[in-house]
Amino acid sequence: MEKLKKAFGACLVPLLSILLAFLIGGIIMAALGADPFVAVKFLFQGAFGTKAGIGTTLTKATPLMFTALCACFAYKCGVFNLGGEGQFLMGSMAAFLTCYFTGLTGFAGIVLALLAGALAGGIWGMIPGVLKITRGQNEMIISIMLNYVATLLMGVIYTSWIRDASVPQTPAIDEAVHLPRIVSGMRFTWGLVIAIAVGLILYYVLFWTNAGFRLRAVGYNMTASRFNGIPVGRYMLASFIVSGAIAGLGGSAELLGTQFRLINGFGAGYGFDGVAMALIGQLHPIATMLVALFFAVLRVGSTTMQAATGVPTSVSDIIQALVIVFSVAGMALTKLPEFEAWKNRVFGKRKEGAA
Amino acid sequence: MEELLRMEHISKRFGNFYANQDINFSVAKGEVHTLLGENGAGKSTLMNILIGLYQPTEGKIFLNGQEVRIDSPSQAVKLGIGMVHQHFMLVEAMTVFDNIILGDKHAKGVFIDRAARRKEIEALSEKYGLDVQLDKLITDISVGEQQRTEILKALYHGAELLILDEPSAALTDIEVEGLFAIMHKLIGEGKSIIFISHKMREVLRISDRITILRLGKVVGTVNRADTDGQKLANLMIGKELTESQYEKIDASGAEVVAELDHVDFNKESKHSGLSDLSLKIHAGEIVGVAGVDGNGQTQLAQLITGVLAPDAGEVHLKGKRVAVFDPNGFIEHGVCHVPEDRNLQGLIGDMSIAENLVLKDADDARFSKGRGLLLKKRAIGDYARRMAEKYDVRCTSVDQSVRSLSGGNQQKVILARELENDPALLVMAHPTRGLDIGATSFVHEQMIGARERGVGILLISADFDEILEMSDRIVVCFEGGIMGEFSGKNPPVEEISLAMTGK
Amino acid sequence: MDWVSSLLLATVRLAIPVLLISLAELYGQRAGMVNIGLEGLAAIGALVGFLVCYITGSNWLGLLCGALAGIAVNMIYAFSTITLCANHTVYGMAINIFAPALASFIYRVYFGTGSDLKQIVTMSSVAIPGLKDIPIIGGLLFDQSPMVYLTLLFVVFTAVFFGRTRAGLSYKSVGEHPQAAATLGINVIGVKYLACVICGALSGIGGAYLTTCYSSTYTDGIVAGRGFIALAAVIFGRWSAGGILLACLFFGFCDALQIKLQVSGIAIPYQFFQMIPYLATVLVLSLIGAKQAGPRANGQPYRREQR
Repeated sequence: MEKLKKAFGACLVPLLSILLAFLIGGIIMAALGADPFVAVKFLFQGAFGTKAGIGTTLTKATPLMFTALCACFAYKCGVFNLGGEGQFLMGSMAAFLTCYFTGLTGFAGIVLALLAGALAGGIWGMIPGVLKITRGQNEMIISIMLNYVATLLMGVIYTSWIRDASVPQTPAIDEAVHLPRIVSGMRFTWGLVIAIAVGLILYYVLFWTNAGFRLRAVGYNMTASRFNGIPVGRYMLASFIVSGAIAGLGGSAELLGTQFRLINGFGAGYGFDGVAMALIGQLHPIATMLVALFFAVLRVGSTTMQAATGVPTSVSDIIQALVIVFSVAGMALTKLPEFEAWKNRVFGKRKEGAA
Repeated sequence: MEELLRMEHISKRFGNFYANQDINFSVAKGEVHTLLGENGAGKSTLMNILIGLYQPTEGKIFLNGQEVRIDSPSQAVKLGIGMVHQHFMLVEAMTVFDNIILGDKHAKGVFIDRAARRKEIEALSEKYGLDVQLDKLITDISVGEQQRTEILKALYHGAELLILDEPSAALTDIEVEGLFAIMHKLIGEGKSIIFISHKMREVLRISDRITILRLGKVVGTVNRADTDGQKLANLMIGKELTESQYEKIDASGAEVVAELDHVDFNKESKHSGLSDLSLKIHAGEIVGVAGVDGNGQTQLAQLITGVLAPDAGEVHLKGKRVAVFDPNGFIEHGVCHVPEDRNLQGLIGDMSIAENLVLKDADDARFSKGRGLLLKKRAIGDYARRMAEKYDVRCTSVDQSVRSLSGGNQQKVILARELENDPALLVMAHPTRGLDIGATSFVHEQMIGARERGVGILLISADFDEILEMSDRIVVCFEGGIMGEFSGKNPPVEEISLAMTGK
Repeated sequence: MDWVSSLLLATVRLAIPVLLISLAELYGQRAGMVNIGLEGLAAIGALVGFLVCYITGSNWLGLLCGALAGIAVNMIYAFSTITLCANHTVYGMAINIFAPALASFIYRVYFGTGSDLKQIVTMSSVAIPGLKDIPIIGGLLFDQSPMVYLTLLFVVFTAVFFGRTRAGLSYKSVGEHPQAAATLGINVIGVKYLACVICGALSGIGGAYLTTCYSSTYTDGIVAGRGFIALAAVIFGRWSAGGILLACLFFGFCDALQIKLQVSGIAIPYQFFQMIPYLATVLVLSLIGAKQAGPRANGQPYRREQR
């Protein structure tokens, strides 16, 4: 009963935030001269209305899930890895280079490329981790700087090293290493299955194993964890590497499944989006994946909405941004003692053991 | 004598807990009025109301016969009320001078007129014998000097009524004498002092009147001349102060569970280091470490639990020399730790009671399959419910977060976790700090129970009475070393007190 | 020689936005507010500054409105972290996501999705007669945009404010020991809100500087990590105005150097040069090590009636 109540309480804030964000989004739409109800209808129609639409939504959701899970896992351990984007890009570069240079095809090629991506992401995530643990440095700043470095490195590849003739982009990888689609006529690939599997594994590790239990303990209270015999540094480094590897795997899956080549703008913004989704999902892997799906719906649906009503697609970005602003504030609000007191007054509940 | 302050029918409620209930209290001009009471008796709450940090739920405050509303600390300062908090309110990264003029209301101008301010402060310091070095950083001066800074600060801000909250807790005897001299000068100049303490000897020496608080209520106000230590103690704890109720044992023949051998840590620091410290703890005894806070006790506790590594010397656990200092290794050797800061060091506040109870051994076969690969949540829940009952943890559910428990119940969760691990050595740092009487005696009962089972216990406490009550053997910690060792049976109280001051 | 002096000129010019944003963070952290949302605040400042300048043609009005926009957005942060006690880092990230999205949205709504680049005229340099003819440093210090002079003056003001004034002392105490400040009658909550106003304004100006005084156009991502480099500069500058100035000149130099190297014709992909400021930040942070020297109560929530 206690647990059920807790779960309900945890869902309430994000749901209310989404509602509030849509309300403001609707006002903006109305101000732009569109009927918000019609616009929102088109938004959901675009995302879910057709088989192809659903396919596109799921395709769009896949990389978001990876970067969101990356952020989710790191923050669970109290580690502010903001480098999801860089790790994602390193993963996609590693996957691309693996395909390009080994020429391996088929299943072996795909697996190798995915592994290379995870490895590259893991190494890229390890750098801020090592600097934090050995030098006590701020992991946020370092991981952000490494995002820029990774983006520029990708630029080197597609503009100079492996450029496809005159266009600043690399040639596409061989069709034999494309991640296969699952349902014909729908764009999403096995990448989605990998993403969901990663999310489920994270859920299992975090909530059903001792390692995950200790990792969460470190995230909540580093000092007490150390006093209780948990090797804090090791857990933190592990969470940097694993979260980097998740993002790297996402990068390689995106390259093999959707993009096929490195090009300007690849993966841009996925890192911060991941942070947002993880925070809205309250660092629960499964909730985080659902939020990723919701973000994908907004993105895909907004294109249809723009075509039908003229409301620009960036309204969906605003809605997303408002959801994060409201939900984080909302969660802080529910933790205030004044809120507790108010709740007890309104619902007449009494809490034992409080003094 | 003329009355300066009167507080009438003051109550303060937090949730449904009364920290103060219907308190009447008054202070005359030129008087030292002591507030006496145990931890949690409501002294600090009452004073926080007086200085405007808290608003009373009910009640009135009169100053010089006028009713006043003290709705902010600045209002209190304006009314001439100054407080020296037990934990000093000094900005460590600033100099003594900067701390004193901080928030200064009577000086004009944008810039700090250092020469003029300095002259004012030096005049005050001379008048009351408050000797401070104005240009030193707070971190670089002694505790006694920090306290003088605090008093000087209050006077500089125009205090007529000074509140001194446990001012002697962190001082040596000589410093306490200096403090008393200053207090005499202050009342000689017509200032009034509210003195908060639970040290009977000091209270009897310095007070004019004494008000005793217990469990948030006034038990009585007496004149110094009409009372003595025994009467006060009875009023304070509500029962006769007796000899230790526990039997003291001699375990010197038993196995040595832990030994520190000429250990150094951060030797240069007198307040946060250890130098050439040797100590043995036998199975089945309680070794009490007495001493004024900040003489290396914290470091001692953390060193013997593996949190800190010594710079020199050896540590032996059950006769084996320890090579690697890390809490996990010590835990595996049967060292358990009730740390001094429950919330920071002992518990994961955002996790549930159940999770905190199995924090150290969730990979045990009782709680998981495959050494931690799959947690048995039902088993953990059942275990937690058993523990909650056994250790009397008052909660609605074991899934409730530990943060939402009261201090006493939090401490019981830690005790349950540490004692159920069958420790060889149990290190307890200030285990009853901030607990009510019921929880305190529960903790004490558990300690005796553990001793009976052969656990060696190192008890570190700033509460001298607790040390006397519990210890089979008493060592005194002073400036990072052991100043003396005494039997816990009929302990020579005077001698131990002297040792605590380094004599 | 010419190459060197133009490099130094660019150093100063590029240091200014980072300097403004770093000072914003300094004012925040001195009151215990660790704001990592600077990137977002600068982004909204850049957009609003650009837009106002585009409409009115006044760079100064653009800067002013950029400041106001920064304040407005930072008030969300202030309310959430001060009043609701939300985690500073988490909420700073929320601002980093929210503000650039808002900026990009406003740009699209106003200019449509067309691809032609809208331009404004950047603020022109004002030479100080006489002084500008001093060799080398003449051009460096006395032939710059007025914003450069103002920002450098502001550094001096900040150093004096925190080092010499009564108000600065009270302000600092809020970041070091809010309880102590409160017992002396300092309005802790008020100072924290004030800090957020200053922080928002300076970040907004820092962002607006990029569009109105430096690049003449607005593009998404124009802040390009300066908000985070500014965080590093505060650490590197050891929380003092002078130290931050030096740190920002260093970062400005790295930025200027990479631009110079890009056009130098060296046959290395230009992206490697572009990495210089980012790698320099990582390097500097790794070298200065873990010594924590920031305000003691940084990032901690303050509640009046705490038990």
